[in-house]
Amino acid sequence: MFRVITAGLRAHAARLVASTIAIVIAVGFVVATLTIGATTRSTVLEAVGARYVSADVVVTGIQDPAGLDADVAGLPGVGAVDLATSTSVQAVVPGRSGAQFLLVDSVAEDPALRWQQLAEGALPDRPGEVAVSERVGADVGDVLTVATYDEEGREDASQATVVGVVDLGGDPSAGINGRAFVTPEQVAAWGGLGPSELRIAAADGTDPDSLVADVRAALADRDVEVRTGEEQAEQEAASVTGDAEILTTVLLVFGAVALLVAGLVIANTFAVLLAQRTRELALLRCIGATSRQVRRSVLAEAAATGLGASVLGVGAGIGLAVLASALVGTDSPVPLAGVEVPLSAVVLGLVVGTGTTLLAALAPARAATRIAPLAALRPLDPAPLRSRGGLLRLAAGLLLLVPGVLLMAGGVVGGEILFSVGGGALSFLGVVLLAQRAVPPVVAAAGRLVRSGGVTARLAGGNATRNPRRTAATATALLIGVTLTTAMVVGAASTRATAQAELTAQYPTDVVVTGNTEDGVPASLAERLAAVDGVRAAAGLQAGGVTGPDGYEGWTLGVDPAAAAGVLRSTGDLPLPAEGTAVLPWWTVEGWGVEDGGRVTLTGDDGPRTFTVALGDTDYPLLTVGDLTALDPDAVADTVWLRLDDGVDPAAVVDEVTDVAGSIVPTAAVTGLASERAALDEVLDVLLLVVTGLLGVAVLIALIGVGNTLALSVVERRQENGLLRALGLTRGQVRGLLAWEATLVAGVAAVLGVVLGAGYGLVGVASLLGDQGELVLSFPWLQVGAIVVVATVAGLLASVLPARRAARTPPVAALAA
Amino acid sequence: MSAPVPVMTIPGEPPPAADAVRATGLTRTYGRGATAVHALAGVDVAFTRGAFTAIMGPSGSGKSTLMHCLAGLDTPTGGQVFLGDTELTRLRDDQLTKLRRERIGFVFQSFNLLPVLDARENIVLPMQLAGRRPDPAWFDAVVARLGLRDRLRHRPSELSGGQQQRVAVARALLSRPDVVFADEPTGNLDSRSGAEVLDLLRSSVRETGQTVVMVTHDPAAAAYADRVVLLADGRLAGEIDRPTADSVLSALRGLGA
Repeated sequence: MFRVITAGLRAHAARLVASTIAIVIAVGFVVATLTIGATTRSTVLEAVGARYVSADVVVTGIQDPAGLDADVAGLPGVGAVDLATSTSVQAVVPGRSGAQFLLVDSVAEDPALRWQQLAEGALPDRPGEVAVSERVGADVGDVLTVATYDEEGREDASQATVVGVVDLGGDPSAGINGRAFVTPEQVAAWGGLGPSELRIAAADGTDPDSLVADVRAALADRDVEVRTGEEQAEQEAASVTGDAEILTTVLLVFGAVALLVAGLVIANTFAVLLAQRTRELALLRCIGATSRQVRRSVLAEAAATGLGASVLGVGAGIGLAVLASALVGTDSPVPLAGVEVPLSAVVLGLVVGTGTTLLAALAPARAATRIAPLAALRPLDPAPLRSRGGLLRLAAGLLLLVPGVLLMAGGVVGGEILFSVGGGALSFLGVVLLAQRAVPPVVAAAGRLVRSGGVTARLAGGNATRNPRRTAATATALLIGVTLTTAMVVGAASTRATAQAELTAQYPTDVVVTGNTEDGVPASLAERLAAVDGVRAAAGLQAGGVTGPDGYEGWTLGVDPAAAAGVLRSTGDLPLPAEGTAVLPWWTVEGWGVEDGGRVTLTGDDGPRTFTVALGDTDYPLLTVGDLTALDPDAVADTVWLRLDDGVDPAAVVDEVTDVAGSIVPTAAVTGLASERAALDEVLDVLLLVVTGLLGVAVLIALIGVGNTLALSVVERRQENGLLRALGLTRGQVRGLLAWEATLVAGVAAVLGVVLGAGYGLVGVASLLGDQGELVLSFPWLQVGAIVVVATVAGLLASVLPARRAARTPPVAALAA
Repeated sequence: MSAPVPVMTIPGEPPPAADAVRATGLTRTYGRGATAVHALAGVDVAFTRGAFTAIMGPSGSGKSTLMHCLAGLDTPTGGQVFLGDTELTRLRDDQLTKLRRERIGFVFQSFNLLPVLDARENIVLPMQLAGRRPDPAWFDAVVARLGLRDRLRHRPSELSGGQQQRVAVARALLSRPDVVFADEPTGNLDSRSGAEVLDLLRSSVRETGQTVVMVTHDPAAAAYADRVVLLADGRLAGEIDRPTADSVLSALRGLGA
């Protein structure tokens, strides 16, 4: 029997290509996902957690630093300690006007705890020296002019020489702010805040885990968090990138989808192969093979195919990951440096690929055992016109669908994404089961619709529903891919719309320029900035001193609501004041005892005035310019809000604005929130692209299935096609017949999939974002339409090869019984 | 039992038109070299317009191959085939296909009908493929004569073997083709249904001047024809005019069948 199997494999190698491709793609997908996931994790860990790589133990949540390092330094097994401190400064880089905001961190004194990777130069050894990140744009030897402000707001200027440039690697936040690294003394001199964390390096030969326990015991009464460096790094990484683990999990779900689709395709492929070999298998039975031997030979063939394809798939997956890593690099929302192939990925790929193939071959193998020996002597029977629908399948489908839909409804109402995911998975399994029943009637109905397309279309309509189970399996494979792709596209569109609405509400201004002087800025600053390329509008704000109900005079801003309305992207979180209204920061609720819509009394030079309160996301009370100058006639121009043109590179415009502002007001500080918005937008874009691409894989596999099914039809209908040719169907018409059939099946699957997918996408978004404020639904008609067209056209393409074969059927075939 | 055949020769007509189909020097070889099989080894034959001709011969005599070549289903290795004035052997596949659906009717031994179409749709299929509308009066006449009026909405799976074969005959007759080729049309039928089908073929010849060429190995079926052409080893081996079952049987015996 082994002989027969190997001979069979060799003889049918070409026919197994479709299954092999399906498995290679699915396994490659899973392996690539796992590999990229592992690589992303290690890259982010390396970048964000770089500072913890050298630290074996990290203490955070420090309230009272006094004596902390001494307490720890005395413990056995501690090699070195570093009490990390940080601050922020405004710095002017030579050759660029305008001050730049820099986050400043201390550099550990002990080399063992220094984590910074130097691109050039060295780390600072003494006050007056600074190492900067590449974003700062300074070179070694440059002298930075640094401005700091003490608690009273007095400016203090100092100078620092750049001694090194630090490479932050794949740190996603590296592009947002400039970073500076100085000695702890310098941090203190620049108004350092309390120490944020204590990093500890273990002495040689000390186990970090036991050291954590020791440190935890020693600091038990201090109410601090003690973690290993690795734990701390993972925590940081998770908070920076969202959660790499979740990303991998999500991708693996797609991998499972690809496998499911591949399974359906493989089951179909084996059905095709066995149908083509009915007589061969029957002959084997005739000459004495038992049905068990036939089944074993089929399964062994499946196992060999599955294993071979899985090996190829693992290779393809690793190759894909290497390619992705090379293309994406560290400069992206999913930073990849090198490739880390987990052994588990390889093993999982092999097991899952082979297992899926075997599982998918079970049903065809069982069917093969039912081939009667006499079949070898009979002509090939045409496929049965009707096959029994499984009542069990129907019941199981409904049992999954109904509770699944209810769970999803609950998820939407309660804003519980877990409910919705569970419900979605359940109901989709139900849909897949029910599709076996539901798809054929829909295809039949669609077939009646296209009857006007002539006699070939009518024949195709009939042919497409001749073997309902096979049609359903083919369509279901495609349906799964299309449904999920649509769900992602629709979900992403709404997520983006919601996120953008939230972001604009949170950061209504693209860029804020503040003068940082008591004397104010020239009134022309706003005009000058509005003239910068890429700036769409500017609104100047006045600032003055107004006394609140608590008796303290505070910084208060005055705005021209009409001008500001053209600058703010949203007034959702920051309402603009009207005459007689004061927009107050949230702290005034406690500090001044005010409430939204209530009254507040503000006192100026000419006495008190009463305002209606509106609460909003503002740092200082916000009045109209008229109200402010009425309270403080000495109010000066201070702040400019800018709105950038859409589609410009925010970083470049912000740099330009910084230069212009700096040349007019040397102390000006520029904060660009546009960059952050753009960065988030980019993350969504990339994620959507990646996910759509991955799901495209499922669709691709499904289309191979369409081609397979048609190939089977061609084999089964050889006589029939011969008859049609004899009766006058031209070769072109035969190809048209197959094309219509493919279009019907693919089109129905695509339309059903899009409808289902849109539903799932909206449900997902509603339950994911429903409880996080305003939900903005957006339906990407164009993309969804494109999915239908692409899936249908691809189905049409899948018919090309089988159609060519069918067209070659000689008319005499009808007579050769 | 066989009435005299009215041979319609009109003085002044060019002689080739008298033959619906004719072949000259027809050869058909399968394989090459030492393993080559000469299914047809040089056949010259003509089939008179408006006549019912049977092709007979033992198994492997090449009778089916001859019919396939005459009907444009198979391409001869050598020689010429004319359908009326059209030389089939010069036509490309698409032209042959169109010629088949417009000028030739077929009745096969089995698997004659498309399972997804009902009887009516099967009957009009070749004309639809050709983009022509059947003449309603003629359609009704054909359907009535074949006794299919009540069966037009039935799918092939709902029809008996004899009914299926009558649908196939109706299909072949509907377009009033130059020739109807029948390949063992009674091979899968019981004798009563077979006799019905043969009667229908013969009456279409008598009553409407239809040309019919039938391949059969059954002497009783051949007896329905006006003329029998005998084939052996890929060559013509004789002819019988106004055959009877007995004359055919003895002629076949003479061929060693």
